Amino acid sequence: MKNNKKTTVLPYLLILPTFVFVCIFTIYPTIASFVGSFYQHRLNVPRYREPVFNGLGNYRDIFASADFRMILQNTFVYVLALVPLTILAALFFALWLKNKRFARLRIAIFHPTILPMVSAATIWIFFLTPDYGLFNQFLRLFGYSGAENWISNPNLALMALVLVGFWKEAGFYMIYYLAGVQNLPEDVYEALKLEGAGPLTVFFRFTLPLLRRTTLFVTTVAVIGAFRAIDHVIVMTSGGPSGTSTLLLYQLWKVRFENLNIGQASTITVILVMVLLLFTISNFLLNEKRGEK
Amino acid sequence: MPKTTMTLRMLSILALAAALFTGCQKESSDGPVTIKVAYPVAVDAPVTDILNQYAEDYMAIHPEVTIETVYAGGYNDVKTMIQTTIDGGGDAPALSVLLATDLFDLANAQYLTSMSAHLDAMDGRDDYLGDFLPVFMENSYYMDEIWSLPFQRSAVVLYYNADMIAEAGLEVPTDWESLGETAGALTLREGNSVTRWGLDYSSDWPYWVFQPLAMGAGQNIVGAGDTEIYFDDEAVIRAIEYYNDLSAKYGAMPAGVQASWGSAVPDFVTGNRAMIVHSSGSLSSILAQADFNVGVMGVPGETEGTSFSVPGGGNIYMTAGLSEAEEKAAFDFAVFMTDAARAAEFSIATGYIATRTSCGENEELQAYRTEHPQVEEIQNILGTAGKEFAIQNLGEVRTIFHNYLQAAFNGQMDAAEAMKTAQEESDRALADFR
Amino acid sequence: MIETGLKRKIFSTLTMGIGILIALLWSMPLIWALIASLRPLNEPFTRGQVWFGSGLSLANYARAFSLAPFGLYFRNTVFLVLMILSVQLVTSSMAGFAFAFYSFKGEKILFTLILTQMMIPTVALLVPNFQTIRVMGLYDTIPAMAIPFWGSAFGTFLLRQSFLGIPRDYGDAAMVDGCKWYQVLWHVYLPMAVPSMIAFSISTVNWHWNSLLWPMIVTQSDNARPLTAGLARFTQLGEIGAQWGLMSAATLIVALPLLILFLVFQKRFMEGYMNSGLK
Repeated sequence: MKNNKKTTVLPYLLILPTFVFVCIFTIYPTIASFVGSFYQHRLNVPRYREPVFNGLGNYRDIFASADFRMILQNTFVYVLALVPLTILAALFFALWLKNKRFARLRIAIFHPTILPMVSAATIWIFFLTPDYGLFNQFLRLFGYSGAENWISNPNLALMALVLVGFWKEAGFYMIYYLAGVQNLPEDVYEALKLEGAGPLTVFFRFTLPLLRRTTLFVTTVAVIGAFRAIDHVIVMTSGGPSGTSTLLLYQLWKVRFENLNIGQASTITVILVMVLLLFTISNFLLNEKRGEK
Repeated sequence: MPKTTMTLRMLSILALAAALFTGCQKESSDGPVTIKVAYPVAVDAPVTDILNQYAEDYMAIHPEVTIETVYAGGYNDVKTMIQTTIDGGGDAPALSVLLATDLFDLANAQYLTSMSAHLDAMDGRDDYLGDFLPVFMENSYYMDEIWSLPFQRSAVVLYYNADMIAEAGLEVPTDWESLGETAGALTLREGNSVTRWGLDYSSDWPYWVFQPLAMGAGQNIVGAGDTEIYFDDEAVIRAIEYYNDLSAKYGAMPAGVQASWGSAVPDFVTGNRAMIVHSSGSLSSILAQADFNVGVMGVPGETEGTSFSVPGGGNIYMTAGLSEAEEKAAFDFAVFMTDAARAAEFSIATGYIATRTSCGENEELQAYRTEHPQVEEIQNILGTAGKEFAIQNLGEVRTIFHNYLQAAFNGQMDAAEAMKTAQEESDRALADFR
Repeated sequence: MIETGLKRKIFSTLTMGIGILIALLWSMPLIWALIASLRPLNEPFTRGQVWFGSGLSLANYARAFSLAPFGLYFRNTVFLVLMILSVQLVTSSMAGFAFAFYSFKGEKILFTLILTQMMIPTVALLVPNFQTIRVMGLYDTIPAMAIPFWGSAFGTFLLRQSFLGIPRDYGDAAMVDGCKWYQVLWHVYLPMAVPSMIAFSISTVNWHWNSLLWPMIVTQSDNARPLTAGLARFTQLGEIGAQWGLMSAATLIVALPLLILFLVFQKRFMEGYMNSGLK
């Protein structure tokens, strides 16, 4: 039960500063995008230089385009490949490094988070060079003999982006799991040990459920983060080859600043926001239903 | 609630400050002028020093003008900054160095001011303009006006390891056939693995390096008009097939799209590649690192004895929405920067091509060319250069072309089919502009 | 007994060995960048010359420092990050507390509205936000880069999440004892949320230390620009191709202060404070 006794203006005032900044710098521009998505507005076409009402025309064009469907698909593949991988690795690293013995190794796993994405992506271009690139050399140690041109191969370019995102983010989410793992009740584990429960049982029956809230949080942040990825696309693949590694946000940037198509850029913004909003709200509701408060 | 009130108070102070500030910003058109100049900084050349020096030298002669330099990462960063600033109603830099091919879209969107009026008012206009290498001026005209001046320019060239070719008893290639054969012969294999490729022809950002191949087959992908494209021309298709043959038939190159722009130069200077197609801008870095004789030429064409190239790089543009005084100062500084002596110096220091014919009279550049005959050669190659791919709605059309060209390179589509689709989609994207 | 002791020792050495191996592999890009940055200028990276050059040299660093005023940029970045973090900690803990402790009308809508901030990418906001900054008269100043982030959805989300984990009774009891909301927040809630605040601080510092696009848009002069503006001059593949050594040096110049901060920080906080949460 929450505190209902004094529902005064106080909570609103507490939220006010955050809300004001969010309104000015996020909600106002988003509403502007929403409105803009109903207009044909292209800076490089003289008769559309001033916005012309276009109804749902932008949405119709976008969903009719095979390229855009591919971009959506790329984005979902990217998110669905990256997020579970990253979270699993983060959890693994946290359970491993929570042990004081290994505490010094945490920085090794965490440090990619600190590197600017443009740098990380540039370093990875070198690592992914065919033939003598370090990543390919490493794979060959395990008998890999497949394609090595990660950045220019239509089947691998997206995976190269996933790889860099994975390497860069896993350590970041590990921090949250580390915090969560530290808060697990020691005595329960002691008791389980005495009862002779195997490590897998302990993990699935106790650790994972106890980390549910952390997992929910990390998933939300990771999904949103994955949708917002752009720097490594620009640096590594420019969305190619043949658009196979173009992600939604990169497309947004291109449409806005290269194609100068403001109406379409607004439409993509709205679609992106809708997808994320849907995800967050369902995630949020799911959490609330289980009766947290 | 002390924190809340504090934040509120701060906000109102901010709003007040904002109102005051914007109120005071009106500047008079007479008296001192400040202009900002935005440059993309190419890596590892002392460009910032040179450009700062230009600004200082200019201010020494014109004390009433203040020039502030603004550096950004690359052409795209400058372009995004100009657009955001103008769209947001701010004061964009008066001059900026942007890609020569950006003209149509940026002019249509009214981000730019034409330089024609200022050029017409200039003494010796024709001498000044006529002194720029004609091929560099090709991307400056639109709607019968001149919008940009050539500044940091380059061209596509083929670099070859002359020693390696001589040692193998081969000749410098003169056409497609001999390019493929020479490169194939210079490819070294040990068992299943290749230890040296004869040729590195990158295609991760392909239109630029591909253009000489299409021209070599007899048809550039772009025509003289601003909506004229020839993607599905038979010659263009033949050029794609030739590119694929370089690996399939001649075994001179790995198959498919090559994301090798960054690694080509290091691989070439260490002898891991016998020939590479790259920017003339890499010449200084290649000469500094290579311990063999470096040859440079245009990309050989289909017929014996021909070779081709296209120019690239950036021009100086004047931004829209300047006051009269700013415009005057900006134009004057643009002319100052493109002065023949400065262009010659700039070329020596950076490796970009000297943009003006009279640069050849500069003694230092002459000495430099005697020392490095390749520089002279690149200047000659420009004689064979055609128009760089610039078109209305460039962003969209270029993406279409890249997508299908790469699909053909990667064997996902047949060359003819890919180019047919590319042409159709591009025609649709250009319909609004015809 | 001796045998099990020995076994345990072997096992522990083995796990440590594997651990170090994984850590090394994971750090390979950084290790490579460090070695690459120490190469003499103008030595190409290629087959068989992937790691060390002909010797060690600081030339890449000297060159990077001569091409961009990293000292000034460093000062700006520190200002920027502190300016954002300090305000965010205050606004977010207030908002997080409100959402966790109180029930009020429109709570869910307000929370979702604030969360949209996490979802909307900066790219979509560049032009309108530039406009706002210009109207505020902050163009080309350090606050211009900071103000849009003074309200943080992420911080609100994270702290609300963490406050929800604190039993209500604590807060209620304090309220019954006559404590004001800020006393409850300060004495009961914040101390228990220290790990989350640290986690939030890490990500805020890291995010804004490395932000590139927005700072490059709202600043033009070196007096306001952050470290990443210097980095941007070296990471472009551009016409000439990547200069790995120089790029690596610039990356390390930008990232090293944070790395060191984290090393210090991890000793001080990670072990101590993470245990100060709920048992």
